[in-house]
Amino acid sequence: MAHIPDGVLSNPVLVAGGILAMAGVARGLRELEPVRVPKVAMLSAVMFVASLIHLPAGPASVHLLLNGMAGMVLGWAAFPALLAALLLQAVMFGFGGLLVLGVNTLNMAAPAVLAGLVFRRLWNPAQPRRAALAAALCSGGAVLLTGLMVAGSLAASGREFEAAARLVVLTHLPVMGIEAVFASAAIGLLARVKPEALA
Amino acid sequence: MIRLLVILFTLLLAAPAGAHKLKVFASAEGTDIVGSAYFAGGDKAAGVPGRILGADGSLVAVFATAADGTFRQGVTARMDHIIAVESEDGHAARFTLPAAELPSSLPEGKAAAVSADTAALEAAVARQIRPLREQLDSYEERIRLHDLMGGIGTIFGLFGCWAWLQSRRRGP
Repeated sequence: MAHIPDGVLSNPVLVAGGILAMAGVARGLRELEPVRVPKVAMLSAVMFVASLIHLPAGPASVHLLLNGMAGMVLGWAAFPALLAALLLQAVMFGFGGLLVLGVNTLNMAAPAVLAGLVFRRLWNPAQPRRAALAAALCSGGAVLLTGLMVAGSLAASGREFEAAARLVVLTHLPVMGIEAVFASAAIGLLARVKPEALA
Repeated sequence: MIRLLVILFTLLLAAPAGAHKLKVFASAEGTDIVGSAYFAGGDKAAGVPGRILGADGSLVAVFATAADGTFRQGVTARMDHIIAVESEDGHAARFTLPAAELPSSLPEGKAAAVSADTAALEAAVARQIRPLREQLDSYEERIRLHDLMGGIGTIFGLFGCWAWLQSRRRGP
């Protein structure tokens, strides 16, 4: 799960995650034009809400991450967007924690940025249908990568990687599916009616 | 292909709920610590390994939650107990059970001058109010609409402040 609570990870992992997340946030804020700020705020709010709403997936209950979609729309600004969303979740609901904020931000924002970069490589304004397909691929991949990074953070703190990875990735298979469909619809629509929002 | 899907589905059934936050609740029933582990929102956490620690951090007992997320473990001393559960995918929770909840018949307590009647009464009352306390505890975790709205507002406010600062710095 993307919300690792306090007291689970070891100190070196927390510090490394914090530094990398800070670098990501700094880069995101530096590239952020004031005119794009409302877009970042909106996606931050969307992610804040999406990951608080639990969906029943068979016997398990999961929630959407939507980090892939945020990365495709925001690029590096996904870092500050996710930091704000995760900070509020930690402060208001105790999901995640303040000490692990850096690691959690990194685990969700790094796949988001990567999804954005891959999407720009695949996207061709002349072919809106291809944009939808690329969006599905990138958002599903972002969720998978987040799961693997969560498992990796646990492994780096002395947990068994395989058990954690199997649990996290398996429970997120339905999330990957739902997000792929959702992102391909949303990004596909954007690509057709307002392609400049993605540029 | 179908076989693969069936395997995947059964694996999904075996995986515990992927909710956010693991919670554990415990109370004393006689000399037993009884409680349950669940995810915020109410889904039971089955098969989660847990430990009971003494007030000084020493290990008292090890247990795993049953299919309905509950556990029961006898203790031998009247002191603060810390119940810690930790699942393999990195969820963890603790609950402190104060010594006062355990019957004074146990050692390390005050003089063991409690009649059998009082002990039975204490156990009965504890059993009766347990569901209530569990409900209160899980109610605290419930997300309400106004919390959501407040969070959304704060996010827009934060980014609004950022935009304002930026626009001031860059000049009109």
